[in-house]
Amino acid sequence: MSSSHPTDVGADPETESESFTGQGLPRVEDHRILTGEAQFIHDITPENCLHMALVRSMHAHAEIESIDTDEAEAHPDCELVLTAEDLKAEYNPMPTGIDSVETEDGVADLFEWSLADEKARFVGEPVVAIVASDRYAAEDIADLVNVEYNSVDAVADGMAAREDDVVVHEDVGTNVVDHERIEFGDPAGAFEDADNIVEGEYSWGRISGVPLETAGVVSSYDDEGDSFDIDCNIQLHTLVDNMIYETLGYEEGDVRVNVPADVGGSYGTKIGIHRYCCLTAMASQQLERPVKFEEDRIENLQGGDMHCSDREYEMRIAVDDDGTIRGLEVWFVDDFGAFPRYPVNQVLKPLSVVTNSYDIDDVTYEYDLVLTNKTSQTAYRGFGVDPHIYALEMCIDKAARAIGMDPTTFRRHNLIQPEQMPYTLPSKNIYDSGDYPATLDRIEEIIEDERDGGLLDPEVVEAKRKEGKYRGVQPSVIIEPGVSGSDWTDRQRSDREALEDRPRDDVEELPEHLRATLEDDGTVTAYLATDSSGQGHQTLVSQLLADELEILPSDIEVDYLDSIDAPTEYGSAASRMAVMLSGATVGLAERFIQPATAVAAEHWGVTEADVSYRDGSVERIDTDDSLSLADLAAIDTDERRLTQVSYNYEHPATEHEEFDEAFSRKFPVYPTAAFGANAPIVEVDIETGEVDILTFHTVRDCGTMLNPMIVEGQAHGGIAQGIGASLLEEFGYEDDGQPQAITLFDYLLPSIENVPEIQMEHTETPSPYTETGAKGVGEGGMIDAPASIATSINAALEPLGIDEPADQIPVAPDHIRRNVRDLE
Amino acid sequence: MSIDSTDGTDGPVSQEITVTVDGETITRQVEPRLKLSDFLRYECDRNGVRVGCEHGVCGACTVQQDGTSVKSCLSYAVQADGAEIETVEGLDDDGSLHPIQEAFHETHALQCGFCTSGFVMATKELLEENPDPTREEIETGLADNICRCTGYQNIYKAVERAAEKMED
Repeated sequence: MSSSHPTDVGADPETESESFTGQGLPRVEDHRILTGEAQFIHDITPENCLHMALVRSMHAHAEIESIDTDEAEAHPDCELVLTAEDLKAEYNPMPTGIDSVETEDGVADLFEWSLADEKARFVGEPVVAIVASDRYAAEDIADLVNVEYNSVDAVADGMAAREDDVVVHEDVGTNVVDHERIEFGDPAGAFEDADNIVEGEYSWGRISGVPLETAGVVSSYDDEGDSFDIDCNIQLHTLVDNMIYETLGYEEGDVRVNVPADVGGSYGTKIGIHRYCCLTAMASQQLERPVKFEEDRIENLQGGDMHCSDREYEMRIAVDDDGTIRGLEVWFVDDFGAFPRYPVNQVLKPLSVVTNSYDIDDVTYEYDLVLTNKTSQTAYRGFGVDPHIYALEMCIDKAARAIGMDPTTFRRHNLIQPEQMPYTLPSKNIYDSGDYPATLDRIEEIIEDERDGGLLDPEVVEAKRKEGKYRGVQPSVIIEPGVSGSDWTDRQRSDREALEDRPRDDVEELPEHLRATLEDDGTVTAYLATDSSGQGHQTLVSQLLADELEILPSDIEVDYLDSIDAPTEYGSAASRMAVMLSGATVGLAERFIQPATAVAAEHWGVTEADVSYRDGSVERIDTDDSLSLADLAAIDTDERRLTQVSYNYEHPATEHEEFDEAFSRKFPVYPTAAFGANAPIVEVDIETGEVDILTFHTVRDCGTMLNPMIVEGQAHGGIAQGIGASLLEEFGYEDDGQPQAITLFDYLLPSIENVPEIQMEHTETPSPYTETGAKGVGEGGMIDAPASIATSINAALEPLGIDEPADQIPVAPDHIRRNVRDLE
Repeated sequence: MSIDSTDGTDGPVSQEITVTVDGETITRQVEPRLKLSDFLRYECDRNGVRVGCEHGVCGACTVQQDGTSVKSCLSYAVQADGAEIETVEGLDDDGSLHPIQEAFHETHALQCGFCTSGFVMATKELLEENPDPTREEIETGLADNICRCTGYQNIYKAVERAAEKMED
């Protein structure tokens, strides 16, 4: 393990360097963004383009009795009105994450139409689509549509939904559309033998990524080719394009999904925007003109299919008097909203880090996935791991206090030790490398410094308490699972019993695709099959490929492939790209250098053994002859062997037999474990209930850092989102299903005033499983910050004797005040 | 100035306005309900003006109107009749970046970049009023803009670096 402190931008992409990888190379993406030239999807409006607006349900749960569109259709600017009836005549429902449910009478299909069919199931659900000459006119026309509803009882609480008093999908007959209980080891025995059993209940409020750019799409139908071009800001466009072409009733090759190079943030959320792609595509087919839809912010917050995890947890820990954790029992309900969309496997991802940094063999993991009258869930940074880590760390705190042990000592006692690496979890995923005790020690040193004349100096802490301000901190070591495999992600649509003895050969993983073309001037264009939304993938590939081809990053352009030109692959999610692009670049460079040397050898009439590739040229050994890449491009004009070089990098865990059991049984496979420990120094004002984070210390390790500047940026952003999640953000609902947060005045995104100074240190423990030693990074801050803030609030208020003040996320002022009042 | 009904009925009326945008004089017939942000994006081809919320919270649409930063989603184009508007697209000098733009690039103060136009324009006003701001003053000056990617750490650095560059 080595320690480093990356500074800001260092290297120059136009100056030779021993290695560009590992340096804070400034980003190639920046110039076009800073000058305003970048074309986001909202900026793309083809000639002749029409615009769509949506009529959305204002009821949480209502039968649609009638839809009167006469007045709307009579408006001079109206081009098209679509209802569910129109869709059902020609198209299909949208695929869901759980497409059918076993009922007493057999199996019921769980359909989601792009427009509400007969019944509206959440506030904001689109009911009618209007197409007009411009958006202002489309909204005027939308106002002329008259929908008669018969409002019925709604259910807007996950726990209540389990009772099935109100059922969201009548045909299905229950709101609990998925459930699983998995036992690892002998949890019953552990709980029977242990000296103590500690139980806690924790609540994680509905939050999401809320990127500043809303969803957008421009669809164009080509009558001649009977095909579609769909430009949009969807995430994972090669993976989830089936949501669009299956709905339209077309083959994959007939629907070209293209994502602009610049997407204004996604953090997972834009995986779920396919409804808009489908509706504009249908409209463009009906009208034979391009149709554009730009979601507005209220649509996005209220009914944009983009909320994320909404969970109630019951955690149980079996612990001996000496502080040894014997067993863990996890039970939770996740409220998925009205439809179980694609990311239903968010309830399973926590298995990849089920015991976090602790050595616990015996575990029970059980959940109910329920539907309610709320907008549907999508993915968000962390993909369901963030609430799990929060609930687990809360219960760890509680267990420590229950047996009278200092919470940090208790954590240290149970940490996985460096000599146990690689460490196989009971849930069969593997942590690759790391020294967790050393990280805990380092964060403790930093806290000690704060106690010695700093923010936690005992005199200062005491004086502040007299003003009603309570300071505290409680660190823990938290794992970020990286580089998801794809095979496990359909576990819920598989026969789970058959998975017990599924052959390893049946596992199908998706590789990462990368392509390169040698241009006439000797520069190289690489093509990414993933889409990007601010992560700097173009910069990263130019760095990695420059090192492999021994040329300058400035001689490499990086472009993007659409869903037809790229093979079906996974793309940028689950902290995958640093690792997957590292491997893909190494393989691509080999595929590039091989024909380069072959072309040169043929040119000279020698064998390939007589030539060698060096510094972006092929040299003829023992002579002064040399061919630059530009020379090779000029020679290679006939066969063009250097213009279509591609490589598919297989998922790294497939190479390692130790992952076979996880693969075969469709347990989450995440072969890199980045880790870190946070020390947010919090100050809780018991008069107002407000929590102020005075400073945020963090010690982090994501293996080899490919671009430290980007790594730090990802950590900063993740931590800021974690601060928002833990203190500010929530999509609250009334009991009748009316949403409480439909503007950015109600859904509070952290501003510069809410994010304290983040003081970051790094260690670098390379991963043994990846090409460069890099581990996945990107989701970490969102996974670890909420847990650290919550446990620090517990620590701050411990002197008052408040039992678990942070037992719900977000820890809003009224919750703290209620706790304080209860004391009085 | 003329006021016409677009279709001779009770439909929206339109009005002629003249606005100077990044030094260019632009005259258009617009409906009174056309937002200034939409006017700049669609009538003046200034896509660098980003629209993130249309209710004045996120600040992505921040431009300068007669030297003061405004959220262009909160006013109508007709209210800008006769005004001078400066957008992020007017900042660079024939391809070479303005010192604020350079500073954002050098300190990695942008990721997805959707908020960046607004932050750059807000920074411009901040530094014009206060060429050497403290961290607290930066916080106050940029509190009306939201960035969802960077956690603001590098935005502080960018403003400080821009201040140094502009002092030279």
